[in-house]
Amino acid sequence: MKRTSMLVGMVASAALALTACGGNGNGATGDSAGPGSKAVQGGTVQVLANAAFSHLDPARGFDGGVNNFYRLIYRTLTTQGAAPGAEGTKIVPDLATDTGKASDGGKTWTFTLKDGLFFETGAPITSADVKWGVSRAWDPEVGIGSPYAKQLIDAPASYQGPYKSGDLPTITTPDAKTIVFKLKKPFADFGSVVAQNTFTPVPKGQGEGNQLDGKPIASGPYKVSEFKPGAALKLVRNDKWDKKTDAVRSANPDGFQWTFGLDPATIDERMIAGQGTDGDAIAGSVAAASVARIQTPQLKQRTMTGINGCTTYMGLNTTKKPFDNVKVRQAINLAVNKQTVRDAVGGSALADIATSIQPPSVAGRVDYDPYPSPDHKGDVEAARKLLTEAGFEAGFPLTLDIRAQPKMQAMAVAIQQALEPLKITVKINTIDTATYYEVIGTTSQQHDAAITGWCPDWPSGATFLPPLFDGRNITPKGNSNLAQLNDPGVNAKITEISELTDVQAANTAYGELDKQIMALAPVVPLLYEKVLMLVGSNIGGAYLHDGYSGGIDLVSVGLQNAGK
Amino acid sequence: MTTTPTLLEVEEVGTPVAAGGSPASARRILRIVTRDKGALACVLFLAIVVLMAVAAPLITKLSGWGPYAFDSAAIDSSLGGVPRGALGGISGEHWFGVEPQNGRDLFARIVYGARVSITISLSATVLTGVLGVVLGMLAGFYRGWVDQVISRVMDFLMAFPALIFMIAILSSLPAGNRPVLLVVVISAFGWPYLARVIRGQTMTLAGREFVEAARASGAKDLQVVFREILPNLRGSIVVMTTLAIPGYIGTEAGLSFLGVGVSPPTASWGQMISSSVSWYSVDPMFFAIPGAFLFLTVLSLTVLGDKIRTAIDQGEAAS
Amino acid sequence: MTRYVLARLGGVVVILLAVCLFTYLIFFKLSPDPAVMICGKTCTPERIDSIRSVLGLNQPILTQFGEFLRGIVAGRDYGAVHCPAPCLGYSFQTNESVWSMLTSRLPVSITVAVGAAVLWLLAGVIGGLVSAVKQGTWWDRTAMALALGGVSVPNYVLALVLQYVLVVKLQVLPFPSAPAFGDDPVLWFESYLMPWVVLAVGYACLYARLTRSNVIDTLSENYYRTARAKGLGGALIMRRHALRPALTPIATIFGMDFAGLLGGALITETVFGLNGIGKLAADSIAKNDQPVIMAVTLLAAFFVVIGNVVVDLVYTALDPRVRVVSA
Repeated sequence: MKRTSMLVGMVASAALALTACGGNGNGATGDSAGPGSKAVQGGTVQVLANAAFSHLDPARGFDGGVNNFYRLIYRTLTTQGAAPGAEGTKIVPDLATDTGKASDGGKTWTFTLKDGLFFETGAPITSADVKWGVSRAWDPEVGIGSPYAKQLIDAPASYQGPYKSGDLPTITTPDAKTIVFKLKKPFADFGSVVAQNTFTPVPKGQGEGNQLDGKPIASGPYKVSEFKPGAALKLVRNDKWDKKTDAVRSANPDGFQWTFGLDPATIDERMIAGQGTDGDAIAGSVAAASVARIQTPQLKQRTMTGINGCTTYMGLNTTKKPFDNVKVRQAINLAVNKQTVRDAVGGSALADIATSIQPPSVAGRVDYDPYPSPDHKGDVEAARKLLTEAGFEAGFPLTLDIRAQPKMQAMAVAIQQALEPLKITVKINTIDTATYYEVIGTTSQQHDAAITGWCPDWPSGATFLPPLFDGRNITPKGNSNLAQLNDPGVNAKITEISELTDVQAANTAYGELDKQIMALAPVVPLLYEKVLMLVGSNIGGAYLHDGYSGGIDLVSVGLQNAGK
Repeated sequence: MTTTPTLLEVEEVGTPVAAGGSPASARRILRIVTRDKGALACVLFLAIVVLMAVAAPLITKLSGWGPYAFDSAAIDSSLGGVPRGALGGISGEHWFGVEPQNGRDLFARIVYGARVSITISLSATVLTGVLGVVLGMLAGFYRGWVDQVISRVMDFLMAFPALIFMIAILSSLPAGNRPVLLVVVISAFGWPYLARVIRGQTMTLAGREFVEAARASGAKDLQVVFREILPNLRGSIVVMTTLAIPGYIGTEAGLSFLGVGVSPPTASWGQMISSSVSWYSVDPMFFAIPGAFLFLTVLSLTVLGDKIRTAIDQGEAAS
Repeated sequence: MTRYVLARLGGVVVILLAVCLFTYLIFFKLSPDPAVMICGKTCTPERIDSIRSVLGLNQPILTQFGEFLRGIVAGRDYGAVHCPAPCLGYSFQTNESVWSMLTSRLPVSITVAVGAAVLWLLAGVIGGLVSAVKQGTWWDRTAMALALGGVSVPNYVLALVLQYVLVVKLQVLPFPSAPAFGDDPVLWFESYLMPWVVLAVGYACLYARLTRSNVIDTLSENYYRTARAKGLGGALIMRRHALRPALTPIATIFGMDFAGLLGGALITETVFGLNGIGKLAADSIAKNDQPVIMAVTLLAAFFVVIGNVVVDLVYTALDPRVRVVSA
């Protein structure tokens, strides 16, 4: 639908490149065909993981990893495709028969449920259950995940979710198969929004507090059979799920087994050795130190790589002196040595150098480099010239906020080195990982600059540029416009684009807005980080999914040989 | 754990040293140490480390690379940033090789790291020494409520899981001046071990004739404490503090190893070992070099401390 | 005796309360706001305020501390989340009650501590005894030199060296993974072997030196010489007159060291990736997960303090002389 229009230009070519890297095994060597080969029915896929899932409750969890996992146990009205590259980010119907019918100029959206849908309990999934699930998003304790339902759907200002405030009148269910949403204002891409986790059905009356975090109620092909928080999670088949109602999920294995809390180094060692059930295992991206070890042909055949769809950048606080001066910001953009920054996170195998704000996976993104330097190693002379023009040839101090993570510290030190010749003394301010976003999102507490990243909630400029650069969104707490850029030109352009009804035109316009913003240099785009996955030798049907931060699409992965 | 050396001080020194050494002890210790080949080797190694620390800027000028300068040419970006060349990139250019992912010179970082280790451990030793001796003497001399208060504080501090608490505090405190924070935190949990011994010995000494005599001749409390008792504690203090230095070097390295020590880009041996952990199978030299320096320094200090203790013990037995 | 025990136990409670209050006060200021943690990625100030009042975070600190203490006995509710007694707090970062986090990790820490303790006691005491008996020989000098080296090697350095040599180069041991004993006893033993050795080395060397000097001291004491003069035989004399007095102090220190380890061998567990209390502490500290840090600190302090009391009582039973002094 609206999504297809996005699959042009850069996205398509980037996706092709992805497939080329990702499909290492495709036809490379006869029988043992690698992770891309066909998966058979049966067996259990092992997942080795460091961190446990944030939440099992679909209204609470909201990140690439958990969104990918939710598709195994939950279904939403629509969902993303199940394929590598651009096909994967295309929105397709899931519980609903289509991707929605708009009326009232795009302010009212109607969805019809398919036949033969059941919860794991055997109860049928009705429109009332979908409505119950969506309205949970307004509950102050439960609705902490995807914000889009709350932002777009019209609701009384005092509404606090079904447990506290009861029925939400702006979502109606004329019959058990039909659900109608009334929006605050027209939104052309609402078909993508109902693919968000918050549009998961929850049996009416259930799911208060942290009930679903302990025991999810499955609507997808698997259900939770055992859950030890922080240690293990076991999924088995949900026999109430009917394959005929689901065109997206292959669901080949009989089950999944997660092991959490493993040391990243341990995971890499086990994946490299690949003994026993580790042959049926998948895991997250390997560490920089392991890159050199997976260069043998046997191991290379088991690797997959692609970008994770996020941009790592350094925000410059435009309200602080001298960063209110555009020349200073431009000079920093010119001077940063992006090669050393990339080496700090693991070199070319684990990141591409970023030049624009939006990463290549975003629709309408334009590839350009406003502040070029030879080999991206930084152009100190050009930077010095700009600083001299601005009257800062004597240098100045810069306090850089970073998360207490070795990778972040390494990046910060690389930036510190790159700015040293300009007499800019970088003071690295390490903030613990738990409070980091709280501190830098509080305008009174953030310092001159901060390193952070942004991932689009779906690969469109709409979920990338407005949250980061709309000056009207600056809030004293929970602020995501780290540069505190409040430029009338940019603000006006954002309003203008949001009023476009053609999604393709909007995405192209966001590509141009990217350039307009970078001319003001409020941020230094640093890297598009990559995932580099090593999977077990018996893994089949695996590809990296663009919509889930480059993770292996769980609804398609399986085993090559289930009897092993 | 880093508790091992602390235990060593308490348990081994607590019993044997009763009263201070004779005035000639310094010369005797020197004689014993210079005659012992092992001890001499330790002194030599420590001298080199101290020299490195003191002359760090000069030495790195000679070697050509500073501790913070990146050398992208020395690492292979396409292989995750592993150093080019054998043995972690050891070459005429980089004497000890380079750090993976950024190519910083390991020799320069070892030399500068010695500064951090020595400054922090010496400062912590001085601070614990002063706190431990003063509070221990007060408790032992005055007894009564003073002793009660000080002893309860010591019980409390020693019941604390010091390592966990040190890390927790250091990780949540704002960056600030890291070395100073490290010294303060290490000393805060270190002084009771010295104070306990000093307190016991002060109690014994306070009952001796010469103290009684000093009192009878009208000396004030403070005079008695500092003129009569303190000199007699000299032996214990020397032994305990020499044995404490390697403990503190280990603690500083341990805290840096756990990521709450000095802040980047400052080099410290513990920090270097910490960043080498994930690389040890690909680039073992990155781990081996700082590991060897740390081990040899601690070993040298421990051996030396042990020799000094034996020398003082023998001195007492002789006198 | 009963009065003595009761008095000691009273002291334990006081110290634990002090540790508790101290930790609470310190981390209260330093820790991140749990309300913000619950509030998630998209948060409004109003929502934070409402969560704060549900959790009782807007009350004075001492009231909150009281709530915490009551939770240990009676359990408590955090909004819709119930934390059953004994409630040591609730981690909003992992969505688990702290008590269940501790109990699920304690077995690993106990396995590490017990195995290491057995190793170091055997190696340390036997090594020290042999050295004492053969005092001044080649054996003694080598053993004591090794012991100095063992005391000096930081255990994370030793851990990495062992891991490099045994796992990566020679591949005689698997990568440590803390499996259950029942699943695969051989793998279980192989996995824990390195952690045990690493943890034991420092203590074993210390105990060897200590045993040696204690035994040498007793051998030169009067009653031992008397016994010898009375013509008692070598083995008996060694056991009754030299070993018992020489080993009593070792038992004391052992009690303390072992108790200290139950609270988690932080570095060893972290380096080997074993999910025990020590690793929990390190992970929680990295995430600044205050309820967990506090509970781990408390647990460790609890073991140390209890260990202290047990040691004192055992000591009193072993050595009649002490009873008079301490009573």
